[in-house]
Amino acid sequence: MSELTKVQPDLAFIKGVMEAGGDTVNKCYQCATCSVICPLSTEESPFPRKEMLWAQWGLASKIAGDADVWLCHQCGDCSSYCPRGAQPGDVLGAIRNNAIKYYAEPKALANMLTTTSGVLGTVIAAMVVWLIVGYLWSLHTGESFPFPEGTVAYHKLFTFVPIDLVVLPVVGLVVWASYKGITSFWADINKGLGVVSYTGTTASPALGVLLSRYLVPAVKEILAHTRFNKCGQTAERAKGHKWLLWSFIILFFVTGIVFFINDFVYLLLGLGHFTPMPLYNPIKILANIGAIMMIAGIWMILQMRQQKTEEGTLKSSEQDWILIWLIFSVGATGIGAEFFRLLNLAPVAYTVYIIHLATVVTLFLSLPYTKFAHMLYRTTAYVYEQWRKDVLAGKAGFGMEKEIIPPAETVSKEEE
Amino acid sequence: MSNSILVVGGGFSGLTAAVEAAEMGYDVYLVEKESYMGGRVAQLNKYFPKLCPPTCGLEINFKRLKTNPRITFYNLAEVESVSGSAGNFNVTLKVNPRGTTPQCTSCKAGEEAATTEVPNEFNFGLDTRKAIYKAHPMAYPNQCVLDKDAAPADEISAIASAMPAGHVVPDQEAETVQLNVGAIIMATGWKPYDPANMDNLCFNSFENVVTNMMVERMASPSGPTEGKVVRPSDKELPKTVGFVQCAGSRDQNHLPYCSYICCMATLKQVTYIRENNPDADIYIFYIDIRSPGRKYENFYKKIKADEKVHFIKGKVAEIKAGSAPGSVVLVAEDTIGGGKIEQEVDLAVLATGMQPTGAHDQIPGIEYDDDGFVVEKDGITPCGCAKRPVDVVSSAQSATAAALRAVQTVRRAG
Repeated sequence: MSELTKVQPDLAFIKGVMEAGGDTVNKCYQCATCSVICPLSTEESPFPRKEMLWAQWGLASKIAGDADVWLCHQCGDCSSYCPRGAQPGDVLGAIRNNAIKYYAEPKALANMLTTTSGVLGTVIAAMVVWLIVGYLWSLHTGESFPFPEGTVAYHKLFTFVPIDLVVLPVVGLVVWASYKGITSFWADINKGLGVVSYTGTTASPALGVLLSRYLVPAVKEILAHTRFNKCGQTAERAKGHKWLLWSFIILFFVTGIVFFINDFVYLLLGLGHFTPMPLYNPIKILANIGAIMMIAGIWMILQMRQQKTEEGTLKSSEQDWILIWLIFSVGATGIGAEFFRLLNLAPVAYTVYIIHLATVVTLFLSLPYTKFAHMLYRTTAYVYEQWRKDVLAGKAGFGMEKEIIPPAETVSKEEE
Repeated sequence: MSNSILVVGGGFSGLTAAVEAAEMGYDVYLVEKESYMGGRVAQLNKYFPKLCPPTCGLEINFKRLKTNPRITFYNLAEVESVSGSAGNFNVTLKVNPRGTTPQCTSCKAGEEAATTEVPNEFNFGLDTRKAIYKAHPMAYPNQCVLDKDAAPADEISAIASAMPAGHVVPDQEAETVQLNVGAIIMATGWKPYDPANMDNLCFNSFENVVTNMMVERMASPSGPTEGKVVRPSDKELPKTVGFVQCAGSRDQNHLPYCSYICCMATLKQVTYIRENNPDADIYIFYIDIRSPGRKYENFYKKIKADEKVHFIKGKVAEIKAGSAPGSVVLVAEDTIGGGKIEQEVDLAVLATGMQPTGAHDQIPGIEYDDDGFVVEKDGITPCGCAKRPVDVVSSAQSATAAALRAVQTVRRAG
């Protein structure tokens, strides 16, 4: 109590949290039941009690510097044991939604992609772009537009050249925005740690150390859903999420392979088109498994969220539903495009294909701007949590990593 | 039209209301469900504000009751229904059989003849009683009770023959009594909130998790452990005791209101434990300590000055088995110090709150709110904990006020 701190409440921040689904935040009376009930809350830095207080007081910078909100998977245990109906789980969800917007660059994209009308608009705009590109490309190839003649094959509409022309700039934007978001988030939470050297610098890990010592274990944990599985009342939600995550990995992998074989190997060797692959091709089999897992996973997530929302265990915001339906559309149009191609129904197949490409681009563009960004920030928080432990224990930060890499490795081996 | 007043409940509030109304010159019927008067206060070891044993306040009221011819009282009696309106209520009472005659003041011979033991509800099951018993040594009326259903018929006849001739009447039957009264005072009091409802506090899983009312009985010289607050598992004096405040109170999943008395009850019980064992460490886990008024605040300050008493701001939301046999671990977040606390204690006390009797047992014709508190209506006045959670002092005050209100009702109607 040696020095007094004047609290400057950020009223706009409180309002933002309340509008994003955290309207119950002011009911909290700080009994801390939530922090004990939470199966994921840590011993040293329990949550979500402190976040509830910061949100009530409008301490936006405190919240911004807090990685713990990202360690929550919104199981709703805290909300059902909350004596006041303050719904801490929902408030943390709202804080996360707000944080994504806070770190989004440019903000206009975040505002657009977090409303249903904005997403529909984006999908339609993307369809228009694809049609224009397709038309221009047909002038070059001489195929008829919009439905090329003969057996349905999507490379007749677009080869990799027009696709890459559209997708690569989007990839560039997404990578840039993700990098900006993650680095500002890291800077904020690192400042929140309050560990400063005598020269005033904050501890920051070297990239190699960061990847090998912290990112790899964090990703392993995420792939296994270790924490999500501990999530009390809604642990079943983890199953759908796990299926979905693995489907994304599988689809990312097959897309990468096809990109490499088609756009490099076949091009350089002048072999023509690698796609469409026959159904017995292992890559195609894998791709179909990925697509089915995607649909099944998102369907499980949808069912569970609907049920838990009806029960009042967790609250769902517009953003939650947008992401679910967008992923569902990507999966459904993907499978639809393949299905109608096999039936050789040209008008339907090419239409569905255009919608598929439009939803894929929209989903991809959403990555740093919508709830989809939990992938970035939660992973960062997982990494940061390990790093924070080491810094506080004097085992990392300010160049100390190098000296203790050998003992750290033996420790981790023992644990395994 | 009637000028008489019915008081339902013979605890501190009901007794006060009854004697106050009678001393103003009105005929009073006092109905008590238990075999003894004094209600919850009779179960306490000591009570605020003077920290004297219950006899010190109850005795004087018993004397006023005994010596006032205007009061007719019934024990083991329940109000079955109420109808009519202010000035003219028709009330049906059921008076259950006591199985003994008024000269039966000592159960000793019968108790020796009895063999069956049943849990003693007066001591919250911490010990047992026989089929013939007195709830506690200072019970008023000072008359034994025969619990015919507690033992087989041949044991009941053995008890009857062991007792002096004519004292025990096993075949006594319940009576129905019709009353016509002008006003009703509801002083039906409260029950301790059932701790088993808080699944995370595991009351039924650990023997050494007790409630604050159980501590009162243990601390009472006439209680099951002769005044020692011990661990039920091994009857040892605990070296560490943890108090879990707001166990059920201020919680919309249980009791949405503050029960008012639990903070002071805990601070009082700290003195019992420190008197029993000067080396005991006590941990009090709380959300806010509510010590209303100057006297209570000073008492809180006094307890806070004791360095063996540790206050932790944070509610216990999990209780698990400890490392030592019988011990339990209380888990809370220390909201001031930061971090989670896992405190192992020999004995954990749940400061359970008050639930009005109306939450479980409602009388047809009486209106209750969602929590079971009696709603005041013309001619029907609640007082004490039937109205809202209060301490003994406030109960007595609200009972006096209710007596005045009842008198006004019958005068206006008459």
